[in-house]
Amino acid sequence: MAIADIFLWWYAAGWRTFIKKNRNAISSITDFFSMSSLVRTLFKPYRQISAETASANSSLDLRFHMFLDRLVSRFIGFCSRLFLLLAGSVIIIIGGIFSLILILLWPFIPLLPIVGIVLTIMGVTF
Amino acid sequence: MNASFDPKNPRVKKAFQKKSLNSPAILVLSIILFVGLLAGGIVLLIMKIALGWLFIGLSAWPIMLVFWIKNTLNEIPVKQSDQFTDLISEELLLLLKPQIKSTDLLNILPKTPSGIFILARFQLNVDFLNFITPLLPEDTTPIYEKALNIREKTNSEEITGATLVVAVIENLPDYQQILNGLKLDLNDLYQGINWYNYLHGIVKDAKKPVRSGGIARDLAFGFTPTLQHFAVNLSERYTGSRYKIQQAENYEIIGKMIDAFSHPGHQNVALIGSYGSGRSTIVNSFAETLMNAEAKVPANLKFRQIYALDAPSLISTAKDQSELEYLMIKIFNEIYSAKNIILCLDNAHLFFEEGPGSIDISNSLTPVLEGGKIRIILIMDDQKFLEISNKNPMLTNTLNKIMVNPSNQEDTIKILMDQVPYFEHQKKVIYTYKSLLEAYKLSKQYIHDMEMPGKAKLLLEASASYAENGLVTESSVQTAVEKSYGVKVKVATESEDREKLLNLEALIHERMIDQKEAVATVANALRRAGAGVKNQNRPIGTFLFLGPTGVGKTELAKTLSEVYFNGEDHIIRLDMNEFVSSSDVNRLIQSGENEAESLTASVSKKPFSVILLDEIEKAHPSVLTTLLQVLDEGVLRDEKNREISFRDSIIIATSNAGANEIRDKIANGIDINTVKEEIIEKLISTGEFKPEFLNRFDEVCLFKPLSKEDLLAILDLIIASTNKTLESQKISVKLTPEAKQLLIEKGYDPKMGARPMRRIVQKTVENTVASAILSGAIGSGSVLEITPENLEI
Repeated sequence: MAIADIFLWWYAAGWRTFIKKNRNAISSITDFFSMSSLVRTLFKPYRQISAETASANSSLDLRFHMFLDRLVSRFIGFCSRLFLLLAGSVIIIIGGIFSLILILLWPFIPLLPIVGIVLTIMGVTF
Repeated sequence: MNASFDPKNPRVKKAFQKKSLNSPAILVLSIILFVGLLAGGIVLLIMKIALGWLFIGLSAWPIMLVFWIKNTLNEIPVKQSDQFTDLISEELLLLLKPQIKSTDLLNILPKTPSGIFILARFQLNVDFLNFITPLLPEDTTPIYEKALNIREKTNSEEITGATLVVAVIENLPDYQQILNGLKLDLNDLYQGINWYNYLHGIVKDAKKPVRSGGIARDLAFGFTPTLQHFAVNLSERYTGSRYKIQQAENYEIIGKMIDAFSHPGHQNVALIGSYGSGRSTIVNSFAETLMNAEAKVPANLKFRQIYALDAPSLISTAKDQSELEYLMIKIFNEIYSAKNIILCLDNAHLFFEEGPGSIDISNSLTPVLEGGKIRIILIMDDQKFLEISNKNPMLTNTLNKIMVNPSNQEDTIKILMDQVPYFEHQKKVIYTYKSLLEAYKLSKQYIHDMEMPGKAKLLLEASASYAENGLVTESSVQTAVEKSYGVKVKVATESEDREKLLNLEALIHERMIDQKEAVATVANALRRAGAGVKNQNRPIGTFLFLGPTGVGKTELAKTLSEVYFNGEDHIIRLDMNEFVSSSDVNRLIQSGENEAESLTASVSKKPFSVILLDEIEKAHPSVLTTLLQVLDEGVLRDEKNREISFRDSIIIATSNAGANEIRDKIANGIDINTVKEEIIEKLISTGEFKPEFLNRFDEVCLFKPLSKEDLLAILDLIIASTNKTLESQKISVKLTPEAKQLLIEKGYDPKMGARPMRRIVQKTVENTVASAILSGAIGSGSVLEITPENLEI
């Protein structure tokens, strides 16, 4: 009876569970790479390392140097975040495609032995 | 509602499938089969054998089996219905049978984890189960019905072994009486079910992943090297793990903290409460909330980290105030730049006052708090907060104050239930439910410099050292209190203790002659305390001993200390003629740091004592007024406002007031107990005592003058005492009846009681013995017989 239970589950709750698990896995990867935080802070200075904001009576030269300083820090921050963002995105995309394929293949898995028998009878080899 | 077990229920089938299939062996075998078939198929195909396809195709089935087992058999959830079988836990699905009898049920329940839990926590042992077995009805239907009922009452998700244990007990005829015998009630058992459900829930939740922001979470936030050096990151431990359980009673305060930090305005929170009231736990719970991605927290607070500043380390590192201010400003700058830090100042008063281990830097701290650019949590004692408020009202106006009140009994027990798994893990013991209740009760009574739930937790932790066979019971908690605070809290259960209490009068009369009424009154008070029937909010007993001098008033106090309080050093004696002015009140309540011998200091050191207030009538009225609270409520506050408990002591006040009256009545052959009220009335009317003072005593005991017969017995006691002193020299003294008679004639003074007798024995007998020893007339092993001729009177 367990075999019947397995097949019944596979095409009903099992498929739903599998989709949910894949969704959770993608969500975990997104969390691991802090994707939302990276997007939100993409142009923030790297680890807040930058000069103070210029005061109203600062000289033009000082203001320019401060601006440059912040710009460099923001650029470093942008590069490091972009790198992580790209790495995370690649892994999420690969994971997503892999999950999608598995989800689509899911209903065919119980039929694989039959496919195997057919191919064996047909004598298909590499 | 169907209160029967249905073996055909799909959940039962699933439970058995789980039992047989969800085993590591089956899972490993399936995976091996999958890998084997897949690899074999590929190898065959490489070898140009088409059969390889069949192998590859067949490899799908073992992996399907693994998927199915892991996703459907891991948990068998209850169904929302009123069917008993739909609602029972997995453990019961496997163990229950359709035609089971109640007696079989009692064999099954101790095999379930939840059954074991409730039996162990309530000390319901095999003897108890054997006792109730014949009392149960054979049919289990009423038990199942009751279990369904209990599930609803306790809001439980499922019926567990614990629920069934309680249902079994509730089905017993006269179960109330049986529970009374165990000092329990139904509500306690329901609490036990809730306790199990709560811990079971924690174990289930622990398996769920916690999201804490990921690897790039802190990239946008700055470095804080100085802060790292002087502070501890409280949030670190909550990253990616469910470490601490959120306590329901903290939610409200955490909500207020989130509110204060997420809205514009002063970005600070001052948690004001007494030590032990759970202020640090709240900060930890807050840290955990902020680190949990799923928690409902505004974006500007999410993943903000709480650093607890190590104030002593900072203060000790700084050479002077200016260096400390410099370090603090450096830390504030780092926090401001970092953008993701909330600073927690535990014992914040250390930064607002000058003293040992503290430096007042309020001048630099106040602008920071006012500016609201840095988020700060201040933890402060309520008393210290009041002091700082008086000194610096502007500062306190800038604080968002949140009061942390001590928890009540219900919340404290919940907190203890929460805490117990940690203690059990650390100390390798098991706590019973009653040990939790006892920890609450006794900590409330004996620990005064801390608040709930801290003091109950402290006591519970200390009780682990007194576990019996790995079980921390009510008795373990009592022992912990007795050992730590030097008090007696256990009801006399040891046969030696019981014997002592039952024969207290006889034991006292080994040292005391006559005064039977006074002795009986005091002995009764001690028996009440020993049997646990005394009022817990008063001293064990308060007595006023009235009578002439030398009749045994002080001696009875000393004897009590010796017999019941384990030695004469358990007596705290105050000569009240040293407390004759109103300023002497201060000497009563001076703190131990300033005056080690004050009444409050002595009692806090030795709460389990006889307190002897000698010659009470000589004390100043202000002193007597101060003592009223002690006599009434058993507590007195010292000069530092600490509550000192007198509830484990016997208070005995002695007075010679009314002595003449007593003597006259006795001389006229009147029994003084029949005129006791008259004598007391006279003392009030003559203004010697105020009625409100006399009313505070449990009993006023009249001591009658000693007769010549009493004196003879006292003489024997004095000689016995002399012989005890001479014991080391192996010499003893024996008085002839004539010598005794002579001493009594010379030593009898109805006005002065036994004191002249002691003096005359000293002058005559002891002098005679001393001369005999020095002259060599007697040596070791000799018995010196004293006749009237030997006595030089």
